[in-house]
Amino acid sequence: MTQMLEAASIVKSFGAIHVLEDVTVSVNKGEVVGLLGPNGAGKTTLVNIIAGYETQDSGTVAIDGRNLDGMTPEARTHAGLARTFQSGRLFPDLTVTENIVLGAIGSGCSTKKANGRAAAAIEMLGLSGVQTESAAGLSHGLSRLVGLARAVTSEPDYLIMDEPAAGLNDHETPALLAALDSIRRESGCGMLLIEHNVGLVAAACSRVFVLASGELLFEGNPQDALVDEGVLSAYLGDATMGLHGGRA
Amino acid sequence: MIQTILDALSYGGLYGLAALGIGLVFGVMRLVNFAHGELIAIGAYLFIVTIDLGLPLSILIAVTGTAILALLMEFSVFKRLRLAGPAVLLIASFGVSVFLQRFYEIIFGALPLSGQIAPWMTGVIEFGDTTITRGSIVTIVLALILLGGMWFFIEKTTLGLQIRAASSDFQTARLLGVRSNRVIGAAFVFSGVLAAAVAFVLVTQRGSVDPLFGVNITILALVGTVIGGLGSLQGAALGGFAVGATISLLNSFLGNYRVYTYTWLFILVIIVLLVRPGGLISNKAVKERV
Repeated sequence: MTQMLEAASIVKSFGAIHVLEDVTVSVNKGEVVGLLGPNGAGKTTLVNIIAGYETQDSGTVAIDGRNLDGMTPEARTHAGLARTFQSGRLFPDLTVTENIVLGAIGSGCSTKKANGRAAAAIEMLGLSGVQTESAAGLSHGLSRLVGLARAVTSEPDYLIMDEPAAGLNDHETPALLAALDSIRRESGCGMLLIEHNVGLVAAACSRVFVLASGELLFEGNPQDALVDEGVLSAYLGDATMGLHGGRA
Repeated sequence: MIQTILDALSYGGLYGLAALGIGLVFGVMRLVNFAHGELIAIGAYLFIVTIDLGLPLSILIAVTGTAILALLMEFSVFKRLRLAGPAVLLIASFGVSVFLQRFYEIIFGALPLSGQIAPWMTGVIEFGDTTITRGSIVTIVLALILLGGMWFFIEKTTLGLQIRAASSDFQTARLLGVRSNRVIGAAFVFSGVLAAAVAFVLVTQRGSVDPLFGVNITILALVGTVIGGLGSLQGAALGGFAVGATISLLNSFLGNYRVYTYTWLFILVIIVLLVRPGGLISNKAVKERV
């Protein structure tokens, strides 16, 4: 059996608005895959369906052949899926370490094991300098990294990252890229990267899916996506894309 | 003067325990549990009906019984309302409160049930010209031990960490895989334990219990929870302490005019809320339940 996270033939409508039309995306274990698309393409809806926040009208979501349909987001966490959030969603009253430990606790491991995983994640993502600080005082970039560390400590088989580079400065984006590479090498999990920053996706991903108006427009190598006429056409006029490698 | 300060500390500690019990449940469920008063009442009833077995056994039965009733409330009512809004939960807690008051009436009678729990607590200790009631000292020590124990549990244990996370942002805690039912159940159990401690002090002071025994302190503890900062456990304990200490000091300083104690208390409460609407320790991350 192929080890992969797969959302197959997903259809979703909100009333008369068709948000996703027969969309299939997949992430193999150990692979970093990008999900691109202009605003309103259906990226967030697709991610919410995969993570269990929304229910699809038809189609299936599965991890390593195990159907996840009908499972709550918490149950999907225990099934090996983790995600980071655009807004970080850290607990402001807790320290950085406590926030990260919770990712492991939530996945069901013991306190000792959770502390060990948190220490490893802090080391891997270079967060030692802020580990005792309150999460409330972190910069936007550090919050993103802490959110990533928290997701990593659950040792997911598959990790979904929702625009991890949004709002990062020119120093923080390379640090994020390095972190993603470390996570892929050390954990071996499959990663689905939802991004506007095509430069980041091209640097981090081996494969990319492009959504436009709820339909799958492109699947393949990120470099090919940059010269694909359909993709270029979908993005024409969208200045936030940074199509030629620039940041959002 | 020393007795006045000790009384204030004692009242503050007592109300701090009551407010922390309410704050624990509010933190993880956004439930303002008006039935907390009935937890205090059952604790007091259990102390009185079991005191002949000896104080240690009576304490064990009262604490266990109160914690079990708290857990029963959660399993039988609030667990079934997980997806309901705060208003529905509030009304449900009113319902549980009134149901239990009537239930106590049927089981124990509408008239006060009397008993001496720890008569040695009503005595005084003399230091030269100063006399101090033993009850004040016992209450302060009990409050310090329980607040310290709760602090250790909440700050230093894994379950405590999950409760703090759930209090800060319940939805995100659930999404991370934190076992919400376990965390909420633990909060109810500890809320019950704190209610039993409050019942012990109150029933020792009053010497009797009736079905409405816990209503007054619960309302004032709720006030403490709000001025402390809804969603903040430290805020709940601090707010409860502030309310209790203020009542005690007002009672002392107003003398014959102590009938105006609650008037002054609520004027001060309104001033605090006008200056700090989010409470003394504001939890900016307070979010609705999932």
